[in-house]
Amino acid sequence: MDKQRQHHLFQTIVEQHKGIMFKVARLYCAAEDDRQDLIQEMLIRIWHALHRYNDEYKMSTWLYRISLNVAISFYRKSSSKKVNFIPLNDSIIDFPSEEKSEKEQNLNLLEQFISELKELDKAVMILYLEDKSHGEIAEILGMTVSNVGTKIGRIKDKLKTRFSQIKS
Amino acid sequence: MNENELKNLWQSANERMIENFTITQKNTNEISQLKVNNFINSMKPVKLFTFLFGTLWVGTGIIILSHIFQSSYGDINKYFLFSVTFQIGLTAVALWIYLFQLITIYYLDMSEEILKTQEKLNNLKMSTLWVTRVLFLQLPFWTTFWWNETMFAEWNAWQLLITFSITAFFSFAAVWLFINIKFENRNKKWFKLIFNGKEWTPLMKSMDLLAQVETYKTEK
Repeated sequence: MDKQRQHHLFQTIVEQHKGIMFKVARLYCAAEDDRQDLIQEMLIRIWHALHRYNDEYKMSTWLYRISLNVAISFYRKSSSKKVNFIPLNDSIIDFPSEEKSEKEQNLNLLEQFISELKELDKAVMILYLEDKSHGEIAEILGMTVSNVGTKIGRIKDKLKTRFSQIKS
Repeated sequence: MNENELKNLWQSANERMIENFTITQKNTNEISQLKVNNFINSMKPVKLFTFLFGTLWVGTGIIILSHIFQSSYGDINKYFLFSVTFQIGLTAVALWIYLFQLITIYYLDMSEEILKTQEKLNNLKMSTLWVTRVLFLQLPFWTTFWWNETMFAEWNAWQLLITFSITAFFSFAAVWLFINIKFENRNKKWFKLIFNGKEWTPLMKSMDLLAQVETYKTEK
């Protein structure tokens, strides 16, 4: 793949699938600064892996793999690494301030629950919330479809218990 | 709240934020101009310093030792010479493992399945344990470099007994730590005591992640 085509493909991927990076970063990083660094790291890894992209996989599967792998490994990076980063647009993340509704409360509960999960369980959780099929989740994680079903079942049970505990 | 409500809640909450999330063309342009081989630039300053200092230490040691072995071998205290040679040799091995680990992690393919990549990545991180094990093997040589032939001729039995006991203790400790510093012992008190501190946090997290991968692979 020539450089110009690679660059064009990179821009297209980033524009069309930025939501994947954003959502993964949101689940793994609480602080906005860390989140921007994480997205930056994902972009660098996507760029470096682009020549290895194999179209037997869906683009979203490939991107989830990179984004999740980078996010899970991200704790290794220290603040000193920031000097090598190109700053992203400051206004990339905007949290709308709305009245606290029941929906918002539920969302807070959900996010709190997710933040307590271990790294690999978080990966399963985001793919489940994104409504991915068990087959696709298995392909992204590298496990069997039946194991995916078991894992999701267990996380859902924990989630249900958690919701009912807090609400009661 | 049922499953669909939960998923809808997640989707709608993210939609609003993703609309405001922009990655400018300037950002992608700058990233696409990054050199593929920017391994050195990617290293944290502390790692770079450790590596450069270690290389300087080993390099200087090798130059001095080569000179001694070639031109003044007969004149020098052999206990000192061989103790220093073993220390430099073990440091060189540890440095090689360290560099190999950093390079392999940098070039690891992140687009493979999560479990496979995390297992590879964290096994590589665990090679830090090898660096520590090898460095602990240096312990007894710190107790022998000052030995000399006069000492064996003139010292009494008690003095020699104390000296040899110290060396024997450090030799035993070095071999014991070399054998026992491993993933399986991560939850033991002595292990946590050695690897206690901020600088070991990434290693301990790697162990935790490896344990998670193991659970994912074996749980039915």
